Amino acid sequence: MKTAFTLHQTQNLKTLTFIGLMLMTLAALNPIYGQTATTTTVKTTTNERTIKGVVSDETETLLGVNIVLEGTTTGTTTNEKGEFTFPKKLKTGDVLLFSYLGYETQKVEIKDNTTFIELKLTIDSVTMIGALDSGKPYKSKRKN
Amino acid sequence: MLFIIAFQSYAQISDFNHIDFKKADSIALANSEEDLYNLPLLAYKLTSDLDTEAEQFRAIYFWVTHNISNNYSLFLRNKHQRNRFKNDSIKLEDWNYNFKKKLFKKLLKKNTTICTGYAYLVKELAQLANLNCEIVQGYGRVSTTDIDNLNLPNHSWNSIKLDNKWYLCDPTWASGIPDPNTNTFKFQYNDGFFLAEPKLFAINHFPIEKKWWLFEDSTPTFADFLGAPIVYGKAYETLNVHNFPKQLHQDINISEKVTFIFKTKKPLKTEDIIFLIDNGSHSKKVKPSSVIIEKCSLKIEHLFKTKGFYDVHLYIKNELVSTYTFKVKN
Repeated sequence: MKTAFTLHQTQNLKTLTFIGLMLMTLAALNPIYGQTATTTTVKTTTNERTIKGVVSDETETLLGVNIVLEGTTTGTTTNEKGEFTFPKKLKTGDVLLFSYLGYETQKVEIKDNTTFIELKLTIDSVTMIGALDSGKPYKSKRKN
Repeated sequence: MLFIIAFQSYAQISDFNHIDFKKADSIALANSEEDLYNLPLLAYKLTSDLDTEAEQFRAIYFWVTHNISNNYSLFLRNKHQRNRFKNDSIKLEDWNYNFKKKLFKKLLKKNTTICTGYAYLVKELAQLANLNCEIVQGYGRVSTTDIDNLNLPNHSWNSIKLDNKWYLCDPTWASGIPDPNTNTFKFQYNDGFFLAEPKLFAINHFPIEKKWWLFEDSTPTFADFLGAPIVYGKAYETLNVHNFPKQLHQDINISEKVTFIFKTKKPLKTEDIIFLIDNGSHSKKVKPSSVIIEKCSLKIEHLFKTKGFYDVHLYIKNELVSTYTFKVKN
């Protein structure tokens, strides 16, 4: 009995050591990821820029498309030619929301090289239907 | 356990009895000058000062039902064309596409639409406020619906997830009805369609997708739906449950009593209940043979004295609630 118990304990110890080693390896790797991320952030904050663009659907450019910086109320709308200039300078990783009544809202992420956005919106797939509630009393159809 | 099951299958407004929607309603009213050109901003203005999902959704729903009118000429034109092309899928698709573009322009510029426009706007604003909201497409049935020609879906409403539970509402029917004199739309808000009781809702809303019944036991067939009694908007403000009769029409014998069973939202008095009975040539107000009220349970019984074919309209506190027909034989 006792021997069996000790053996079991030794196995447990081995497992623990292995897990411990794995954790240390992970811990050792982690700061490397962290450093990479920091470098990117530093690079992009210095790279704020004005974003322009044009929005259309499959046939024409769209007037009045809303463009908002995600998570804020900062935004603008497109002009008669479907063009816009975003009022705030943007950086890599920012997300713009393009919405227009009847069209599917689209998200566009600002990439390292984004300065001009050419976007096509697609009309929502919903079918328009309607039934009215008239409030008029029901009247049976009588045969006679 | 039983209580929990019953509670889950009847997701409705009473789940939020602890919430006073006055704040949400007043925010919606304060923003009544807003237009639809900037939906993200509108959603933000309507919801940012409200803490609960129910209140945020309420403000959006209240705004849409008080600011968007129902356009009858657009509705009639769409109904006509959809019927015309019902056997030509290419033309129907073309019509649907072009009509949709036109409709969204009208909604944007004139704040006017038809059902799907209401449901669409409620969904868009709710999603912009990070709420989980869907359009439900299906069949709506009212007193004037021609059930012999109900071939294509004709109505849209919404399902909204609040605190992890789905609820139903009908912003179109909540917004108003046509003025009987001018036949133009008149805003007349009906609060009964907000987070409505699913089984009452099922009497005149038949969803294409089964999941939107929001209850699982004995969901109606399309034939059940077409044969159901007529319920009016006021039923949603007055009734909690419409138990019986299950059909619009019944054939009965002259000595046979007919029974009506309901649960009302508030306790009523015997004198609140009146029938308007139409025999085809004239109609008159009649007191039912017996009315039994116990708290919110309402049981009505009636005996017809002469044979004939009758349209029986139930009025509660002078408001038309529902209609049934009876063929009374010797």
